[in-house]
Amino acid sequence: MNDTVIEVKDMVAGYEGRVILKDISFTVAQGETFVVLGGSGCGKSTLLKHLIGLHPLLSGEVRILGHRIQDGGEGEREAAMRSFGVTYQSGALFGSMTLLENVCLPLESFTDLPSDARRLIAEMKLELVGLKPFANYFPTDVSGGMKKRAAIARAMALDPQVLLLDEPSAGLDPVTSAELDHLILRLRDTHGISFVIVTHELASIYAVGDRCIMLDAETRTIIAEGKPAELRDHSPLEKVRTFFSPNQR
Amino acid sequence: MTLNLPEICTVDSVTPLWKQRMPEVGKLKAGEVLILDADSVKRYDGSAEALIIEVHRCAAAQGFSVEYRDAVAVISKTLKIFNPAVFSDHTAYDLPPRNTHTVVQVGESAVRIWRDIVDVLAFLGEVVTSGLSFLVRPGRLRLRDTMLCIERAGMDALPIVALIGFLIGLILAFLSGSSMRQFGVEVYVADLICIGLFREMGALITAIILAGRTGSAFAAELGTMKVNEEIDALTTLSLPPVLFLALPRVLAAAFVLPFLSIFAVVMGLFGGFVVLWMMDIPAITYWQHVFNAITVNNVLIGLTKALTFGVLVGLSGCSHGLHTKRSADAVGQAATASVVGSLVLITIFDGIFSVLLFVLDI
Repeated sequence: MNDTVIEVKDMVAGYEGRVILKDISFTVAQGETFVVLGGSGCGKSTLLKHLIGLHPLLSGEVRILGHRIQDGGEGEREAAMRSFGVTYQSGALFGSMTLLENVCLPLESFTDLPSDARRLIAEMKLELVGLKPFANYFPTDVSGGMKKRAAIARAMALDPQVLLLDEPSAGLDPVTSAELDHLILRLRDTHGISFVIVTHELASIYAVGDRCIMLDAETRTIIAEGKPAELRDHSPLEKVRTFFSPNQR
Repeated sequence: MTLNLPEICTVDSVTPLWKQRMPEVGKLKAGEVLILDADSVKRYDGSAEALIIEVHRCAAAQGFSVEYRDAVAVISKTLKIFNPAVFSDHTAYDLPPRNTHTVVQVGESAVRIWRDIVDVLAFLGEVVTSGLSFLVRPGRLRLRDTMLCIERAGMDALPIVALIGFLIGLILAFLSGSSMRQFGVEVYVADLICIGLFREMGALITAIILAGRTGSAFAAELGTMKVNEEIDALTTLSLPPVLFLALPRVLAAAFVLPFLSIFAVVMGLFGGFVVLWMMDIPAITYWQHVFNAITVNNVLIGLTKALTFGVLVGLSGCSHGLHTKRSADAVGQAATASVVGSLVLITIFDGIFSVLLFVLDI
């Protein structure tokens, strides 16, 4: 059995012909927490947006659970889209809906389950992220960390096998950020979900990252790949070692 | 009763179970036994977990017992992650029922409109206070922003004001002309249009256009700034948002509306001219009647109304924008509320003007 959930081959990504990333190849295994890291402006979010098909690739191929997301047919693309969940930097919850309604939305759109079943599933997802007592709150009434957890609950509504998180720790205090890291590890262990996390928060990288790639703004490609601790201690590139140990400059 | 969970126990296979078997489970009574058979499950998802929790909730509520067949530990894993007792109280999350009685809704609307008026008047106080600080230190008003607002609210509105003004003149002339023609006095349509446009319609129509076009834009712009915390940033920089954001917009609206109003009146007079020309009234006769009907009083009344309406539209737009809640739909609500608020205020103040002018016999 092939346990690769994401396969990226020779990806060239950019906007309107302008190349932002090139020669990007990596795989993500089932149940793995894979971290995409790098300094500001290196193309982390660009990689994520091309990975999930929000923007067309300039060249190369992305397969999620074997489905081609970019060049496959509409059916293949939809199957690929259903197989992953995404959360965005701000949470991107719908402000006119309660947290419960936000989580219920994908279930209403893509399943024929009766309303009480949808509601129970949504409540269970919120319970998983510790937000069931806030089910009836609106996004404006909860904190930044709670919004991110609610966004994870919404992304998990259809039980995807892969969750892609864009800067989950951005703007959070260290305690809330650590709680979020624990949540990610718990979901990985209890539900076998694979995570792709775009971040530059060192604490999170060490806490959750099984493996990572580092992008570089100068060369516009991957300059390091491996376990975070190995890269910190043994990378031949000073740029990589400095990223992991910024205080030792 | 036995409830068999299928081999691939995901949403597609669980949905029929929810629809067909769960109503039967809901009828089980105390003392009866439900066998929950998950022995053959190879793959499952959140819908299967929800089904297991629902069975346990029903058992707790109805008093029947549940026997497991759980060779692959699906049920035990689910019960380890989720406690069914936590999900027992649905009603705790139900929104309070909205009172839809017509009388209540009318009352709520009236209270909302009254609060809007009070808010706008309070906001007027803030703007006046800021205006006074501007008089003390004129450099604090952002002239560039004010000029930009004037351009957007004034110059950019000329085409729509021209079109609506022309059509209003045309319609007024048609309506009155067809009646007055029966008495052979259609030439006085020119006087009617001139007085009507200068005293009332010019300012009113232009104010409505400004409210829909510019007032809503003010509210949306400031509302978005509020959502993006730009208003908070201004406050923490000790830059009063009312002085920096609201005052330029209110001044711009108040400045442009009299000019737009005069422009609408002129276009309306041309609209009336087209109709009377079609009724064989000579151009010289029409324009003579028009110029005779223009009095200083009529012009001043129209301009005063336009100035007042301009201030009201600017105040309503900025007030609703600055008081927006922090969400995307709140911005839309603020834009809508600013237009409704402007229209209500314009109507109220137009009524006040009419009573005053009647009392003063002007």
